[in-house]
Amino acid sequence: MNIQTINRLTPAETALVEAYTAQVGELPGDGAVIGTRDRLLDDLKKSGLPTRRVEAWHYTDLKSLLRNVPAAAPTVSVDAIAPLVGDAQLLSVLQGTASEFVAIDGVEIAPFAAALSDGSAAAGLVALDKDDAIGKINGSFVRDGYSINVPAGTSVDAPIEIQAVHGAGQVHTRFPVTFGAGSNATIIERHQSATGEAAFVSTISELVLEEGAEAVFIILQQQGADDTHLGQVRVKLGRNAKLKLFVVNVGGKLVRQELRIDVEGEGSELTLRGVNLLGQETHTDVTLVLGHNVPHTNSTETFRNVVFDRAKGVFQGMIRVAPDAQKTDAKMACNTLLLTDDGEFAVKPELEIFADDVICGHGATVADIDKNHLYYLESRGIPERKARAMLVNAFVAEIVEELEDEKLVEALEGVISAWLEKHA
Amino acid sequence: MAAVQETIDQVRQIDVDQYKYGFETVIEVDKAPKGLSEDIIRFISAKKREPEWMLEWRLDAYRRWLTMEEPTWARVAYPKIDFNDVYYYAAPKNITGPVSLDEVDPELLRTYEKLGIPLREQEILAGVQTSKVAVDAVFDSVSVVTTFKEELKKAGVIFMSISEAIREHPELIKQYLGSVVPTTDNYYATLNAAVFTDGSFVFIPKGVRCPMELSTYFRINEKNTGQFERTLIIAEEGAYVSYLEGCTAPQRDENQLHAAVVELVAMDDAEIKYSTVQNWYPGDAQGKGGIYNFVTKRGDCRGHRSKISWTQVETGSAITWKYPSCILRGDESRGEFYSIAVSNGHQQIDSGTKMIHLGKNTSSRIISKGISAGVSQNTYRGQVSINRRAENARNFTNCDSLLIGDKCGAHTVPYIEVKNSSAQVEHEATTSKISDDHKFYVMQRGIPEEEAIALIVNGFVKDVIQQLPMEFAVEAQKLIGISLEGSVG
Amino acid sequence: MLEIKNLHARIAEDGTEIIRGLNLTVKAGEVAAIMGPNGSGKSTLSYILSGRADYEVTEGDILYNGESILELDPAERASKGIFLAFQYPVEIPGVATMQFLKIAMNEQRKARGEDELTTPDFMRRVKEAAAKLKIDPAMLRRPLNVGFSGGEKKRAEILQMALLEPQLCILDETDSGLDIDALKIVADGVNALKTPDRAVIVITHYQRLLEYIVPDTVHVLYKGQVIRSGDKDLALELEANGYADIIGEAA
Repeated sequence: MNIQTINRLTPAETALVEAYTAQVGELPGDGAVIGTRDRLLDDLKKSGLPTRRVEAWHYTDLKSLLRNVPAAAPTVSVDAIAPLVGDAQLLSVLQGTASEFVAIDGVEIAPFAAALSDGSAAAGLVALDKDDAIGKINGSFVRDGYSINVPAGTSVDAPIEIQAVHGAGQVHTRFPVTFGAGSNATIIERHQSATGEAAFVSTISELVLEEGAEAVFIILQQQGADDTHLGQVRVKLGRNAKLKLFVVNVGGKLVRQELRIDVEGEGSELTLRGVNLLGQETHTDVTLVLGHNVPHTNSTETFRNVVFDRAKGVFQGMIRVAPDAQKTDAKMACNTLLLTDDGEFAVKPELEIFADDVICGHGATVADIDKNHLYYLESRGIPERKARAMLVNAFVAEIVEELEDEKLVEALEGVISAWLEKHA
Repeated sequence: MAAVQETIDQVRQIDVDQYKYGFETVIEVDKAPKGLSEDIIRFISAKKREPEWMLEWRLDAYRRWLTMEEPTWARVAYPKIDFNDVYYYAAPKNITGPVSLDEVDPELLRTYEKLGIPLREQEILAGVQTSKVAVDAVFDSVSVVTTFKEELKKAGVIFMSISEAIREHPELIKQYLGSVVPTTDNYYATLNAAVFTDGSFVFIPKGVRCPMELSTYFRINEKNTGQFERTLIIAEEGAYVSYLEGCTAPQRDENQLHAAVVELVAMDDAEIKYSTVQNWYPGDAQGKGGIYNFVTKRGDCRGHRSKISWTQVETGSAITWKYPSCILRGDESRGEFYSIAVSNGHQQIDSGTKMIHLGKNTSSRIISKGISAGVSQNTYRGQVSINRRAENARNFTNCDSLLIGDKCGAHTVPYIEVKNSSAQVEHEATTSKISDDHKFYVMQRGIPEEEAIALIVNGFVKDVIQQLPMEFAVEAQKLIGISLEGSVG
Repeated sequence: MLEIKNLHARIAEDGTEIIRGLNLTVKAGEVAAIMGPNGSGKSTLSYILSGRADYEVTEGDILYNGESILELDPAERASKGIFLAFQYPVEIPGVATMQFLKIAMNEQRKARGEDELTTPDFMRRVKEAAAKLKIDPAMLRRPLNVGFSGGEKKRAEILQMALLEPQLCILDETDSGLDIDALKIVADGVNALKTPDRAVIVITHYQRLLEYIVPDTVHVLYKGQVIRSGDKDLALELEANGYADIIGEAA
């Protein structure tokens, strides 16, 4: 390492390097894991945090947006909160450490720290590409999480809620989840700040759906107003697997939510939905890279964004159809309500298509509330403010309702209404 | 049905060797030594009998260029260009600028005749050609002739080569050159500013509707020669002009460089319609040869209610890197971009537009049709940006891609940036292959597969073809058919 | 109840004048028909009465129960009892019809100083009114107007009218796109709402609807003005002779 490289680090980069040094010997892992951590951090140090010159980070210049990083504070104490839906089986991660948990019938669960300690996690601690800053950060610092395996043929009735609650400091978690062949389960992954003090969070979920598995996976990001949330979901869809992936962002100051999805089995189906409610002076980026890698697969992706205040939103969505991935049917839509002139939204939907017998498309709109809709409601005696709230609610409720499970729909609509109540 | 039959006939006429503009004209030339240096720039400037300030402008750009890096963000791949292995100036012997028609070398006239470009005014006037089009013919580095100059002059329109304009209208050049595409804009535009050799200059004074279509025809003939043309069009208050641009080059095994800059300025209530049919040599079936086409085209809607419309049919070149854009500065100004990009063989296209909304009540419309065949890669890349102060901006974008065969690629990369809540931005894109049902239907009526495809493709691009002036529309349809030759089976 | 005095109005965006010195009085209990050829300003008048922002009143006044309503926004006008049954009701995805009805009814009650409806009470009222208009309950479970057929949309408008109990009902081309059975249902629905203190303005092209909703007065609108007023026979005359004669007379 030469001195010049050190000199060029930003305060945030420096804080990350220092946090790593401070935790040497403390972070769980065998030799292989520690070696991998060292390499990832070194790589991060060399490349630095990505800037807008890196195409994948075009609208989220992490180097300049991430002003500083709080020191790791693994001893901060927080409590679990009530689950999103009453009958959910809870797996808590408090301040980045998996809690004691009640066994869930038929499901194999282990703290991720165990996989780090015995080295079985080493192979998964990789950056997906040279610009994968989240992979590098999380791989360097990850402390715990849960490894979940829904064995082949198992049907889990009640939803499982992974609940990551934290206070100030740094939290780095990872959740590898395997849905065995023909299994069926619903999992909610929730990130919540308990204290509202600034935290720096990185989290990676690795979902593998084996042949014929059917899963609903919901990510509910409710971080605090000063939190940085760097989330990544890596998905592999096997033959005839069906995944409904819902991503709801209703918190955080600086949020990057990456969805890296590989559709690898014929006959599989992906339903991806996203709701992003953005307010105050925040920056939220949802970046999707979806590879349709084999023939005969379907996907639909719909994102609805609402921008208030001085918030800035970003959606990048790339659909990549590999050569020979014939009969791919992929449709993506990103609709944004931009409600203030101080807010902004940038969209980059992208199609990269190397097979000819496909039907692929994307649509994007950015606009204010439809004046005709507003007038209609007003003409029925509903005051403007209320009419606007109804229309905003309706705009996102349409997405949530696609979950079909009534309890989940109701719970998420509750979260959304509460947020809108507070910000609109 | 008549139109359909016409299309089929056109496709049928296709030459076996496909690129019918691939011949070479044997003519004595005057060349600058190979390579790029301040001396070469001085040489070009001197050949053009330019004033000192122009030379300085070029040298500034050159020094700037030396510090710049070649852009790599586009989805195109090519071996590194050796900019010192290119001739930057080549002109038919004894011509340093346009002369009268009688003085033009008959060999050159024959070339343009072969290309179907009308240069003989008397023939046009005698009705040999159906409609009147004024042409500026640029051969390698120089403009060889500009037709109808006198008639245009009567209307107050200035239409001449840019080299002449630098000498005859220095005040206009000083005011406008580089005012839309600054010399520092990008790698290729900066290179162009340093070494541009010719191009067209158009000035339409206040309130004048240009009495005829203006057109420039670019021909690269010499081996290893780059063509760096520069076009500047100014439409003053209330003026209107429709301008056409066509390009061809001989078939050669080596790649040739073309880096043009086009600047348009539209003042209050002015309208400029700019149409291009680009048919540079695309390279052979193995991907050998062809033109590298790196072009910067930008229009500035400087005045209120001004309008700039770009229409392009891109069928040629080995590599196309080109984004005709509009800066919508004036209130209620409007920008349009209509594009057909056809890639076949080993061609690579990365093209699109930028619509930058700055003024109030500005609107823009983008219609892009990409067709990929062979092993080509065809990318639409576009940006729509709504500035914070651009109240009530409107954009509609539609990008459709058609794939013919399973070895090619079609890509769509739009960037949409909205900073004003009163904006309405709508973008839609689709990618698919030619519907089997459609093809079957047409073939069932006895039309062979290749013609069936040409027919369906012509339907696919119709929205854009309609934007072209009549003379170009027929030519463009024919070209698309030719470009897709051999794309089946 | 309604008094329109020398009204001039134009499209806000481009300044096109549509209403040019219109005078019209409608009394409580009255059914007034407004007829006229295409482009005479009929729909515009309904939008201006309900306060659509796309139009500007440049001259004159609209008095409703003796007070000018020009400064009121659409919701305030609605809460005072002005209801417009739209010719083309918009589809609003995501807004549940039932939720919408409940909010609108409660806003109406709030304006009148009444308590909010209890859910069972609300449900009962909607069910009853829907049954009268032969509206399939399944329709009410869909988002507002989304996927409704033309006839369903018109019936849904009359349902809203019945539930919101307005004082001044404006029906804009309610007959367009309805077959004869649907027309009867809609007309019966409107007739059922006729009371001595409620006025109805029926905007229509044709006599057909007026056979079922019999008007007390008929007004012919042309180029933004009422050029002729009369009783229901005027509508019959128009049906027989067309607009040309009357327009000729006025010109």
